[in-house]
Amino acid sequence: MKLIFDYDENITGHVPSESIDLDLPKHLMRSDLPLPNVNEVDVVRHYTNLSRKNFGIDLGIYPLGSCTMKYNPKVNENLARLNGFSQLHPLVPASFSQGTLELIWKLQQYLKEITGMDEITLQPAAGSQCELLGLMMAKKYFKDRNEERKKVIIPDYSHGTNPATSSMCKFQTVTVQSDTRGNIPLNKFRDVLDSDVAVVMITNPNTLGLFEENLSEISDLARSNGTLLYCDGANMNALLGIGKPGEQGFDMVHLNLHKTFSTPHGGGGPGGGALCVRSFLADYLPVPRIVKGDEKFSMDYDKKKSVGKVHSFYGNFGMLLRAYSYIMSWGSNISRVSKNALLNANYLQSLLSDVFEQPYNRKCAHEFVLSSKNLGARSAMNIAKRIMDYGLHPPTIYFPLIVEEALMIEPTETESKESLDNFASVLKKISDELVKDPDFIKKSPHTTKLGRLDEVKAAREPNLRWLPKFKV
Amino acid sequence: MSEIQFTKEHEWILMKDNIGLVGITDFAQKQLGDIVSVELPSVGNEFKQNDAMAIIDSVKASSDIYCPIDGKVVAVNEELLQSPELINKSPFESGWIVKLEPSNISQLENLMTEEQYKKFVGED
Amino acid sequence: MDYVPITNKDQKEMLAKIGINSIDDLVGDVKLRCGKLNLPPPMSEMELVQHVTALSEKNKIPRYFVGGGSYNHYSPAVIDHMVLRGEFLTAYTPYQPEVSQGTLQSIYEFQSYICLLTGMDVSNASLYDGASALAEAALLSSSHLRRNHVFVSKGLNPRYLQVLKTYCEGAEIEISDKIDEKTACVIAQYPDFFGNIEDLQTLADEAKKAGALFVTCVTELTSLAILKPPANFGSDIVVGEGQSLGIPISYGGPYLGFIAVKQDLLKKLPGRIVGLTTDDKGNEGFVLTFRAREQDIRRERATSNITTNQALLALSATIYLAAMGKDGLINVAKASYKQAHILHEKLKEVGFEPLNDKPFYNEFVVKATKPSEEILSSLLKKNILGGINLGENKLLVCCTENNSAQDIEDYVSAVNE
Repeated sequence: MKLIFDYDENITGHVPSESIDLDLPKHLMRSDLPLPNVNEVDVVRHYTNLSRKNFGIDLGIYPLGSCTMKYNPKVNENLARLNGFSQLHPLVPASFSQGTLELIWKLQQYLKEITGMDEITLQPAAGSQCELLGLMMAKKYFKDRNEERKKVIIPDYSHGTNPATSSMCKFQTVTVQSDTRGNIPLNKFRDVLDSDVAVVMITNPNTLGLFEENLSEISDLARSNGTLLYCDGANMNALLGIGKPGEQGFDMVHLNLHKTFSTPHGGGGPGGGALCVRSFLADYLPVPRIVKGDEKFSMDYDKKKSVGKVHSFYGNFGMLLRAYSYIMSWGSNISRVSKNALLNANYLQSLLSDVFEQPYNRKCAHEFVLSSKNLGARSAMNIAKRIMDYGLHPPTIYFPLIVEEALMIEPTETESKESLDNFASVLKKISDELVKDPDFIKKSPHTTKLGRLDEVKAAREPNLRWLPKFKV
Repeated sequence: MSEIQFTKEHEWILMKDNIGLVGITDFAQKQLGDIVSVELPSVGNEFKQNDAMAIIDSVKASSDIYCPIDGKVVAVNEELLQSPELINKSPFESGWIVKLEPSNISQLENLMTEEQYKKFVGED
Repeated sequence: MDYVPITNKDQKEMLAKIGINSIDDLVGDVKLRCGKLNLPPPMSEMELVQHVTALSEKNKIPRYFVGGGSYNHYSPAVIDHMVLRGEFLTAYTPYQPEVSQGTLQSIYEFQSYICLLTGMDVSNASLYDGASALAEAALLSSSHLRRNHVFVSKGLNPRYLQVLKTYCEGAEIEISDKIDEKTACVIAQYPDFFGNIEDLQTLADEAKKAGALFVTCVTELTSLAILKPPANFGSDIVVGEGQSLGIPISYGGPYLGFIAVKQDLLKKLPGRIVGLTTDDKGNEGFVLTFRAREQDIRRERATSNITTNQALLALSATIYLAAMGKDGLINVAKASYKQAHILHEKLKEVGFEPLNDKPFYNEFVVKATKPSEEILSSLLKKNILGGINLGENKLLVCCTENNSAQDIEDYVSAVNE
């Protein structure tokens, strides 16, 4: 295993300040810079070889639940690199950035249409930052109304960002248990819905891949209680052109552009977030707002009730551009995305229903959760590791926390029937293997270059960066 | 000398000279798996019974440690910051977590004896 | 250009297997369904390219003499060719390390580079941008010391200050003008917003005396090729922006936040961290580590909710540093410094008043003989973005290695007309 630092045999730290013949006082300059000098051929070989140790959507199915690992259109990469967009500095005057401002404004319009909401910001860098912004806005909203509300209700199946965000804003998280159909039961909801509840955060469809059947009642109850209803829109891939959170009673909804709107995951980012709100919350949105005058687009900073800013400039423009292009390519046909996402998930679920346990006896939305507990403890882990031997990527395991030995599977609409059939047959095979030869499966993966890595050692003997061997 | 007592959340407390030594049980450390990090309270912090007073992180999980009886922290096991695995190796001795000065000693009556705890975790 | 591979024949077979008649049977509560979306008709790829290209042509790209948190450096060609590889571009967060060693190793290298540049002990896998990284540092300090004031030195980028204020208000942290026993951290930018380079040891000592953490914020990371690393003057936390390292200016995003700390704060770091370990046969490999800090495990006990980092940009920055190497990076810093100082001299010669009372790197403040709006306007007519208007005839001007001698000549002659 070679690190980039190992390519420079002559790597030294020493940088004699004389060589930097600048007029800077010596005490402000560094005397060491232990970075390697590497020729371009080695740079290319090093990173190309590294890339070949990765799995990506371009290689095969990547069925991680709630991540929406759909195909990332190549044309969007070209468009993001157009000079007129990538070379524009954020501080140019509006007269120089009309193309960019128009794109942002149009994307705002289309996302409002898709979600059925009144106003929007594209400033957050990711879904979790949208949640943070949403709760900060809620906090300010209640403060302005002289209401001190300290609680946020979150269902037990929620993504960890929901309660984490609630804590970041000093709210107290109240968890409500979902029922055997995966819904939030109304009686339990009423029990916790008191005058101290600021926000209810719901994911719809939820992380179990199920549409919330009590949604109308929940939104009515929240409304009469003066509580805001927040939709974690990570699962919007089930709803494009099918349902609008704005028509389902939500006051705020966030979108993950890197999930539903096809921007590439890049190994963990960058993403892009959109927070859409009802008009009564619009004044709290971050500045600047991108607005349209008679003929020109501009930035409006004059919003006295705004919570401020969450990004140093205006958000992840490069990702907004890709999301915009994606929406423009589908246009009014975009419901085809969600309809096929639902079809693919239900089809795959039906292929696996006699292999694993189905904790919720319902049709699923765009993803579904199975339990492999019938195959024993740690079976989800062992199945995931063995899937890699077949050249495929495992689904999400051990989430949501409320399902034992959970396998959360989201194929997305960009998988072919052959791909789904193949994935199901591999899972069937592995479940047989786990019964016939459990020891072999427990030691997988066998065909990858690395076996199971020692995560205890990684934490107990942390090695988190390269250290120069010479004294610096 | 008093006997060791147990909570439903798998903490133990052993009183000596009016100071309670507190840790988690062998059952708990097994459940958590390999412990990699401990967040300790500060000396002087006061907690009520069942307040979360420390956090133990294993490789894949994070658990709150709850205060067994009302009291004030008079000492913390700083060795755990460097060697959190002591809790796995020796949960009742070198893996102790805090020392508490109790403010409501009658609460000990609500806790389980060793026999009761063994039954509680199904080890009898 | 349809990204859905399911054919009508497939659909029939699939519906039959599921046991329903149409996809409509899958769509949940009928009364919550919406009508047809009011979106434009679909576009072919060719139409899309024409449309978006036309939009891009409504923008104008001037020559840049502006920084303020976004720096126009040259980005070597190798970067794009590497990051466009599908294995990097279309991979997810490396939760299954056996099939993610590419991403994991490149993040480990990024973490290493950040530590080498800043002089700190550990770094994480990146944060959204410099401003939110600074906010995370304030939250970290506050939760670590259980104090809820932060002190901000006056040279902080005003946009960063806005973001910090927003985060602090949510977390009920106060921005105070005192350094005392309530202060969780003292924040200073290096070089500061006005370009000034200052030895921050004195401020760091003040922080230490009050028992507070000292946070240095670096918005122009190429400066650390030649400047004393922040670790050397007592920083407990260094945060900032990595955009200067080969990441396109792209109208302000996506960018690359980073955070690096001293060893004792390791377990307080937000976000992802990659570590080196071995497998059951002793082979070396990388994994995400200290996972229990993160939101999916800690949930409401997490100190940060961050999930997505900026992995692909951390990879870009790593490749930039590899491709430039020590020598290349020093040359970029030297050139940026030199061009800025040449322009500075020439502006002095035509009557601009220099306002930096400390040495500066590649940004400086001058007072013009005319109102800043006029100066900037005459420059814009020559397709030059001349700087940031600080009010009262003052301009914040920036140069990088991308500014040629001709660019500088054109700037000076435009303001001298």
